[in-house]
Amino acid sequence: MAGETPLNLRVKELIIERLGLKLTPEKIVDAANLFGGDFGLDSIDALELVVVLENRFKVKITDQAEGERVLQSVDSIVRFLRERGVE
Amino acid sequence: MENREIIDRLPHAFPFVFVDRVLHLEEGVRGIALKNVTVNERFFPGHFPGNPVLPGVLIVESLAQLGGLVLGASGSGEDAWVLAEIRNVRFRRPVVPGDQLILKVELDKTLGQASRFSGKALVDDEVAAEGEFTLSRTPEVAPG
Repeated sequence: MAGETPLNLRVKELIIERLGLKLTPEKIVDAANLFGGDFGLDSIDALELVVVLENRFKVKITDQAEGERVLQSVDSIVRFLRERGVE
Repeated sequence: MENREIIDRLPHAFPFVFVDRVLHLEEGVRGIALKNVTVNERFFPGHFPGNPVLPGVLIVESLAQLGGLVLGASGSGEDAWVLAEIRNVRFRRPVVPGDQLILKVELDKTLGQASRFSGKALVDDEVAAEGEFTLSRTPEVAPG
């Protein structure tokens, strides 16, 4: 696994903080599916994450399909943010 | 559209309508409404005896109902919504009989079936309650 970048860590901390998860960032595997398996986040959590990502990083997630694509994992969130110039 | 018609679009009915008048409505964006608090409300004798205070959860309900109007509640039951989450809600002063609540909600984001709002309720320009809430369109629980 590649070393953790600040952006990875910031995304994980944001997820933990906003969704009130009882986890530390290192417990979240970058490639893990956020909406099934270990985490089991639901559509309300997804909306909360979209709002917080938009506010924090000044990006736009326009519809549900894009939301589902972006929010698959920490990896996919980071990839999306990088594509939009977030470092 | 007349005020009564707007409020009638809510699936709610007596004694559970907590919006008295819509002052401003931009569908899909924001809404402002008022709710008069009268001593005749049936819950005041118990909340609390000799010390009537509007239950905070009913302020949240008022905001949620206004949120439903912002979403364009049709009253038909086919696109009914339910309260799916409340978050960061703070009650900052008691609301008592004689107060007039000014309700303000803004739609922050809709994703799929879920819509996230920010809302506040003011009395005499002071914030009585504020917070965030999410409504979810859920045909399965539509009334009727």
